[in-house]
Amino acid sequence: MKFYIQVLIGVIMLAGCAQSDSQPQEKIVKASSSAKVEVEDMPIVPLRSPEEFSLEDQRVGIDPKVIEIPSLDVKATIEEVGRLDNGQMGVPQDPDQAGWFSPGTKPGGRGNAVIAGHVDSKTGPAVFYELDKMEIGDEVLVHGEDGEIVRFAVVKKIAYPRTDAPVDTIFGFTYGSGLNLITCTGSWNRKAKTHDDRLVVYTELIEGTE
Amino acid sequence: MQFKKSWAAIPLSVSLLFPTGAILTSAAEHEHGGKASEAISNKAVDLRATLDSILSEHAYLAVVTMQKGLDGAADFEAAAGQLGENTDELSKAVGSVYGDKAGEQFKEIWSSHIGYFVNYVTATAEKDEEGRKKALKDLDGYRVTQADFLAVATENRLKASDLEEGLKMHVDQLIWAFDNYGAEDYDKAYESLKESMHHMFGTGKGLSWAITDQFPEKFDNQSVDTKAADLRESLNNEFSTHAALAILAMQKGIDGAKDFDAAAAILNTNTEDLTKSVESVYGAEGAKQFNEIWSSHIGYFVDYVQATAKEDKAGQDKAMADLDAYRVTQAAFLDTATEGRLKAADLEEGLKMHVDQLLMAFDSYVDEDYETAYDNIHEAYSHMFGVGTALSGAIVDQFPDQFASAMPADMPKTGMGGMSQETDYTILWVTLSMIFIVCTSMVLIRRKTGEQQ
Repeated sequence: MKFYIQVLIGVIMLAGCAQSDSQPQEKIVKASSSAKVEVEDMPIVPLRSPEEFSLEDQRVGIDPKVIEIPSLDVKATIEEVGRLDNGQMGVPQDPDQAGWFSPGTKPGGRGNAVIAGHVDSKTGPAVFYELDKMEIGDEVLVHGEDGEIVRFAVVKKIAYPRTDAPVDTIFGFTYGSGLNLITCTGSWNRKAKTHDDRLVVYTELIEGTE
Repeated sequence: MQFKKSWAAIPLSVSLLFPTGAILTSAAEHEHGGKASEAISNKAVDLRATLDSILSEHAYLAVVTMQKGLDGAADFEAAAGQLGENTDELSKAVGSVYGDKAGEQFKEIWSSHIGYFVNYVTATAEKDEEGRKKALKDLDGYRVTQADFLAVATENRLKASDLEEGLKMHVDQLIWAFDNYGAEDYDKAYESLKESMHHMFGTGKGLSWAITDQFPEKFDNQSVDTKAADLRESLNNEFSTHAALAILAMQKGIDGAKDFDAAAAILNTNTEDLTKSVESVYGAEGAKQFNEIWSSHIGYFVDYVQATAKEDKAGQDKAMADLDAYRVTQAAFLDTATEGRLKAADLEEGLKMHVDQLLMAFDSYVDEDYETAYDNIHEAYSHMFGVGTALSGAIVDQFPDQFASAMPADMPKTGMGGMSQETDYTILWVTLSMIFIVCTSMVLIRRKTGEQQ
């Protein structure tokens, strides 16, 4: 029985493919009615290919390994960072690498993924030195371990005083897929040994996993 | 589209969570023992659970109704009627947030997609391929209208493009489940049914997130996105899927339907899902015990169906006695596992309700009292949300460390000052000083050398 269904579907598909411009409808009817003679309990539902359907959630995200920002000519390895004992988001050990907040959302998953990078080291520029030069629409690519890529585009950039950023929004849930890039900006506060402001470049998913 | 923004006058705690939320909370508290903690049950998470319950039951009833429609089954009207009641409930929930007028608009749009599914079923039954194509095209149009409505209502917190993607998946899962049912590929059909119910929990989370973000003060500034809330809804999904698939398998069993084996098989995968969840909390040994006990009650339901088929009253009684014994064993297991957080006596009462609802749904199906059957299916489905809430409450209380927020409270320190102005001056100053010292030293050395010569 299954075999007949496949034969039938095959016949229908062949008929459909062969007739690109001249009355494919007629051919299909003919093909199926001839097959029907052989199969008494023919299924009434002609199945379409599963590729036409969206059946599984694509918004699962990837384990990020490399971040690429073409407009800044940045391509950097990603470290996993967590939350420090003082409640701050952790930072990458290497100023030339970026840090993905791994307890949070994966890039491409539902919610906001966060990747932070230093603006400078003790002696010179670091991975996100030019992050403030990003413009709306600029792309950010995140590469996974097995060559998968998720693409994001900048939707806005905002600098906040370092103790007054909307942390819940930056790290929190959203029905879409965001990727928020963080670095330091503003003047160097020698007493606090940190910059006065934090720059957040908000990006949103433009394509699913490739 | 116009939305009534004077919703604030409505006491949301009553209107939005009525009626399911109120039932859920009390079910969790009274039927399964223990008061759910704030982490598990607050206004925001209750909203999420309420929407999850209504939306996922929609997917279930839609798939069932489409099957019954294709088969020309006697319970088609009752299934469709229950699906209609589900639409009323969902529209009421939307109306309680965005106003009655918006609720009516929502109902119109939402009902349209059910209508298109019906058209698809009718066209399929009539072997009308053009009609099927038309229905699919109408469903495409529906996605845009529905997405627009929700994007406007949530002030773009839910983006139309994301919504359309989600709605496409919902439509595709239902069509796929139906097409495969029609083509007698029942495993694929039931996999898709299960996935379509699960998918709605993502929709419920998204919608409740948008609403609570839009009206935070109405939800005590609580978040729907916490580890505790995720556990509650994950368990609610697994438990409610159990009830839904159990009653479906019982119907298919008594009908001697061709898809009975597939319906029973998908119920087994649900048992495996539940077992995995138990294992993640209570370890492999606990999971093994749970699996044995849980599977036993499914076996007794099967016994009951078989006895009913043979009109064997004694067999039915035996199955019911076994189910009574099961309740005691299952309750004792959960009481022990949760270290008394769930009380055996309360659990037995809750399990009795579950057993009674399924048997009532089945008996009335057999007696061709389909209204009662689908009312009980609805009750059995909703009841499971109390079970998930109670169990997750106990687990969160038992292992609080596992549910602490991992979110940072503060921004990262992403700079070391090497490129900032002040530091530049410092470096310059140090460099100049060094040069000065070197030069001075050289002059001195030269002088000294000159003097020596």
